[in-house]
Amino acid sequence: MTEHDENNRNFGKEGLRRMFATDIATDLAEGRVLELAEIYALDALSDAERAEIDNYIAAAPERPAFLERVRQSRETLATSFADEAEPPPGLLEDILRQLPQQPRSSQTGTASASSSVSEAPPTAATHVSPDVVDLAAERNRRDRRRFGGVRGWVAAAAAAAVIALGGVGVGVYVAGQNDPVNQVLQANDVRQATVDVNGGGTATVSISTSKNAVVVRMNGVPAPPAGKVYQMWLIPKDGSDPVSQGLMDAQALSHPAVVSGISSAAAIGITVEPVGGSKKPTLPTVAAAPLA
Amino acid sequence: MDTPNVRGHEAPSLIAGSNAQLAELLGLMADGDRGAFSEFYRLTSRRVFGMAKRVLVDAGLSEDTTQEVFIQVWQNAGKFNPEAGSPLAWLMTITHRRAIDRVRSAQSATDREAKYGAASQLLDHDSVEEEATSRLEAESVTRCLATLTETQLESVRLAYYGGLTYREVAEQLGAAIPTIKSRIRDGLLRLKTCLGVS
Repeated sequence: MTEHDENNRNFGKEGLRRMFATDIATDLAEGRVLELAEIYALDALSDAERAEIDNYIAAAPERPAFLERVRQSRETLATSFADEAEPPPGLLEDILRQLPQQPRSSQTGTASASSSVSEAPPTAATHVSPDVVDLAAERNRRDRRRFGGVRGWVAAAAAAAVIALGGVGVGVYVAGQNDPVNQVLQANDVRQATVDVNGGGTATVSISTSKNAVVVRMNGVPAPPAGKVYQMWLIPKDGSDPVSQGLMDAQALSHPAVVSGISSAAAIGITVEPVGGSKKPTLPTVAAAPLA
Repeated sequence: MDTPNVRGHEAPSLIAGSNAQLAELLGLMADGDRGAFSEFYRLTSRRVFGMAKRVLVDAGLSEDTTQEVFIQVWQNAGKFNPEAGSPLAWLMTITHRRAIDRVRSAQSATDREAKYGAASQLLDHDSVEEEATSRLEAESVTRCLATLTETQLESVRLAYYGGLTYREVAEQLGAAIPTIKSRIRDGLLRLKTCLGVS
């Protein structure tokens, strides 16, 4: 069979629609997002392209169909390509030594979910998607754990630690309407702005006053230099010092981050800081966007 | 009736039915149950390490990746949503993503050749059977993989095991980009239909 046959085989009622372009943006613009589900599930995309699709699908009517097709592809892959190899002895013990305490929020959250399905209807899942870095929750969790009752932004900034949730893409978990990214993106009052990031790429902020939150998505932003991370800050309206919202390492870059509690903030800024983060932003910012 | 394809005797192989068990273990892990974690590891570590090794080749890197995956699984156990997929697919998605993130970040522009070289070897690795050897579904998987055209299977494998993007697959094979996208899509759809994934 020739190359042409392959691309033409699906010519028919839907044929034209199913013919791919060379780039993802055109595929999306021409209504082929569903046809990209398999490529998406296979991770055969650059991070920037994945972000493009995530962005598109977040509010698209095809979202449920897309996620279902991604899910089926992932089941197919897990069944079909089942390599097995014996890990080195002692690895489990190494991992066990490194396991952190489970965060309290997660414990309470799943206790009800696992003990009785009937308590929570399936659609009421409020779990945060693994690809969503909920910076506020992370920060609060760290605060509770490390600083006990210490309050205020100084503690929050000091508590900054790399958020390395390393998500797995929008399709695996689907928190549906309830995931925090969607809550913001689908809010009635959501407004978007895209700003250039110094060093390459852009950051898109989707701001919802009613949800008191902003979703930050980096598009094509290069990984931070060795030994550095990106750190996000809210700049308060009252002129007080910026408040750290957490760090993004190379891995976190490809995932949307939710920053909540923006009502008292005038702007959001991103700086490059040494690994571990800084208490105060190192200026200039690589990107900043007004929130008010 | 013996099962000639099953190599490891003491190491458990995952079968479809164990997804329910994995889901239950994830629930316990979210509540901080380390025993459940150890059991989860026992049931799945061969798959995780196997995938990492297939993509990364290097044993040390594969070990690091396996660690990262299981720590992430522990941390995200409470976020697992059974409605969105089986625990095994969830786990393998995390593993694959971690492995190719490593492959890609280790890849500077000058390494491109080496990367493609490694990817090409995957193809010589002759393998349709090998992918499924220790699986109970081995027969149907082998049969279904054989329903793909050579070129479809080649593209899917280059992307999945080589960590290549569709664009890099096209470059590597000297084929048109839309053609490669079609091959990947059609190959996976064919596989899905044949396996009866619903």
